[in-house]
Amino acid sequence: MAARLRTSVRKLSELLDARFMARLDGIDVLSRKILQGKLQGERRSKRRGQSVEFADHRPYVVGDDLRFVDWNIYGRLNQLFLKLFLEEQDLTVHILADTSASMGEGNPSKELFTKKLTAALGYIGLVNNNRLTISLFADGVRTQLANMRGRQYLSQMAELLLTAESDGFSDFEKACRDVAAGRIGTGVTIVISDFLFKQGYEAALRRLIGARYDLYVIQVLSPQEISPELTGDLKLLDIEDMDAAEITVSSALIKYYKRNLAAYCNELQDFCRHRDAAYVRANSADSVEALVLNYLRRIQLLR
Amino acid sequence: MEWLTPWIGVYAAAVAVPLLLLLYFLKLKRQEVVVSSTLLWKRAVQDLQVNAPFQRLRRNLLLLLQLLALAAVLLSLAGPVLAWKGKPGKRYVLLIDRSASMNATDVTPSRLDEAKRQARVFIESMQSGSIVSLRDKSDNAMIVAFDRHAKVMCGFTPDKRQLMAALNAIEPADGESELSEAITVARAFAQAPGVEGNIRSAEQPAQLVLFSDGRIDDLGAIVVAPDEIEFHQIGQSQDNVAITAMDARRSYEQPEQVEVFASLENCGTQPVTRDVQLGINGNVHAVRSVAIPACEEPKAGKPWAPGKAGVNFSLSFAGAGVLEVRQLGSDALSCDDAAWCILAPPKRLSVLLVTAGNPVLESVLEACPIATVDPCTPAGFDAMDEAAFAARRPYDVIVLDNHVPAHLPPCRYLVFGPPPRGIDVNSPRELENQVIVDWRAQHPVLQYVNLTTLFAARSHQLLLPRDAEVLAEFNDSPAVALLRRNARTYLLVGFEVLQSNWPFEPSFVLFCYNAVAFLGAQTGGGEQRKLDVGEPISVEDVPAEAAVTITRPDASKVELKPDPAGTVRFPGTQRVGIYTVNIPNSPARAYAVNLLDSAESRIEPQKEISFSTVTVAAQEGAVQRANVPLWPCLVFGALVLACLEWLAYNRRVRI
Repeated sequence: MAARLRTSVRKLSELLDARFMARLDGIDVLSRKILQGKLQGERRSKRRGQSVEFADHRPYVVGDDLRFVDWNIYGRLNQLFLKLFLEEQDLTVHILADTSASMGEGNPSKELFTKKLTAALGYIGLVNNNRLTISLFADGVRTQLANMRGRQYLSQMAELLLTAESDGFSDFEKACRDVAAGRIGTGVTIVISDFLFKQGYEAALRRLIGARYDLYVIQVLSPQEISPELTGDLKLLDIEDMDAAEITVSSALIKYYKRNLAAYCNELQDFCRHRDAAYVRANSADSVEALVLNYLRRIQLLR
Repeated sequence: MEWLTPWIGVYAAAVAVPLLLLLYFLKLKRQEVVVSSTLLWKRAVQDLQVNAPFQRLRRNLLLLLQLLALAAVLLSLAGPVLAWKGKPGKRYVLLIDRSASMNATDVTPSRLDEAKRQARVFIESMQSGSIVSLRDKSDNAMIVAFDRHAKVMCGFTPDKRQLMAALNAIEPADGESELSEAITVARAFAQAPGVEGNIRSAEQPAQLVLFSDGRIDDLGAIVVAPDEIEFHQIGQSQDNVAITAMDARRSYEQPEQVEVFASLENCGTQPVTRDVQLGINGNVHAVRSVAIPACEEPKAGKPWAPGKAGVNFSLSFAGAGVLEVRQLGSDALSCDDAAWCILAPPKRLSVLLVTAGNPVLESVLEACPIATVDPCTPAGFDAMDEAAFAARRPYDVIVLDNHVPAHLPPCRYLVFGPPPRGIDVNSPRELENQVIVDWRAQHPVLQYVNLTTLFAARSHQLLLPRDAEVLAEFNDSPAVALLRRNARTYLLVGFEVLQSNWPFEPSFVLFCYNAVAFLGAQTGGGEQRKLDVGEPISVEDVPAEAAVTITRPDASKVELKPDPAGTVRFPGTQRVGIYTVNIPNSPARAYAVNLLDSAESRIEPQKEISFSTVTVAAQEGAVQRANVPLWPCLVFGALVLACLEWLAYNRRVRI
């Protein structure tokens, strides 16, 4: 077990450094829906559930908090079970990460940022014994690790993320369709992508919105997309469909591009806000640590 | 506005403008760049195209600006000129000496070229107005080239290009230098009112600038104001050996013997020994070595004198030819190193005497050194076949004694008595008791002839046309006249010999001798064949419509036509040498033009020239350029800036 733990940490350390992982240990994913759902009409409480209302047991996994071990059952059955209280219901974390060809562009690469972010969120989910599903999508869901619970899946998650390559067309709607159908329980859906879909994102995102799942939209853009440094007469080729756009770079064109980008992102933000989803815009040059430890906590994705 | 060089602009435009357009369109080759998504880019481009009119204007604006810049450069190449009659500044008259002494090569390439170079620098340093500062005064200059006569190369103008062209057109000549005519011409031009009449003569007088070596003959006769003339001295050395006199004579007793005499002068300070060569018709006949002493510097009372030496040649030559005396050995001035003389063959004339019987005339003519005198009766003369006479030309002179012939074959005539008909001379009445009142003693016909005591009892009144030359006059009518008509020459004496006291005068013999020699010399015996530089060549009795070709010493040819009197005049004898005149159906005649001027051969440049009232010293140092054009620096700077701008453009192409 120790050897397994060491292997998973080593591989994961390619994405998350040890200090970051140590800090992630103290964080848990928070679902507003669960709080709301359970405390209908009552004031929401942010406190970690310590109520006496016993709800459920679940088997013990290495790393769980020993304070909630039901010693009575251990005494009787000689097996470790954790007590789950009402506030602590089973939370499914569903992470959709975009691995289409467009994510491979950028310097620093959006792909790396996405993988690190997915790894961090996945780590938090697994460490807190939440059910974790990671789906990597391009044109539809390409690879998926479903219903992982516990630390033993860290290595698999690392393996999945590290071997994934950004390649292929984007069909966001198909991916969302696939994911939405397979969701069980309640939880949080996190979509990490650049959302530059020619077919649009609205229909797809609508599928992900539901009564049981919080939707968190994290848009990752590279610095080259936010402030392009192009000059001269160029023929731009879209990496996914090789669509060509002939441009002559001038300050007016850059101005219009930025205006369009801002409009696009604001549009996405408005869409999310109207549907009670959360929107995060990230720059792939930012540090994942800052995003996770500070910002995501601030918007109450993490606790 | 005028275009000085429009075709350069057109050709440059034909090359440069298509090139620019080609470059402009070739430039639009696009570089391929892979991006994550063209979604937003396409939207940006669409937004841009919504504002398309402004964008198209911006792109076309660039092309337009570049075309305008190119057009400005091309137009400037075509040399636009605005003929602006601005206020005149100072006025200069440049006097360029182009006499024989200025051909000396002690200053390379020659003194005249050096004078032209200094004049060029002077012109370039003149102030000139520009299109930017129209109120500026611009200096005017005028160019006069002089030797014995002055020639205006260019009138007052501020246009430097015109002045340079006029300067380059000054040809060297071998004449003597006289400044009076040049100064008169310069002053006349300087004080004449301008074309618009608003250049008052109260303007300060023009400054005369003289480029010469100072060897001018008539300085003592010229009056100039003290500051009026500025003298730039050209030339360095004084060493020159020249032939200053030459003549060739046939001995009277033995016509085959020819005596040739030449005189040489050495103007240098060292005695020299030179070889003198005599050539006939291009072949060397004799060479003699002559030692010439050095010149004598001016000492107490004695002026400067060159070292002189003479040389004699005797030879036997019975033909006609060109004699050349040349001193071998090069020196600074080459045009005085040779002298030519045309040698006539020892010719004796044949004379036809048409008379009814005049023993006086017969005996006088026989006394003259003439080959043959053929007497002929008037009837016989009239019966002669004119065409055969014209073809054979057996006689050089025809003497008509009191006979008006029916027809006049082409020849030279000495007419005593009534003038022949058909030559524009009328004789309406006869005069009595005429005495000579005046005669032209300098004329070759009347040389040594004293007509004081000539008395004619009866004579014909002569009404002559305007171009007749009157040689002697009675009180009521001309007595002796020279006339040329229809390629014939007539020496008219208005009275019969036997009606006067002339036969008893010794002058009659001399007159007949001179007249026959003069008329006979017209055929080609050597009439005025030896000329000074600048004297015109004059050929008589040329048939009308004949094309006469004159070959200059430098082998260039000139074609001339005779005037109605049958005379051909050629004034262009500016250089020394042999001039050959070719008349169709006649043997070629040669004319010798020599310098033979001691004053001009003395090429020592003068440090100061003394006019009659003032002495002007030469300017120290050659003419220096007063202003340096800066535009090359500015153009180079513009080029450097253009390169920098291109560099900057390539780094960050953002308009």
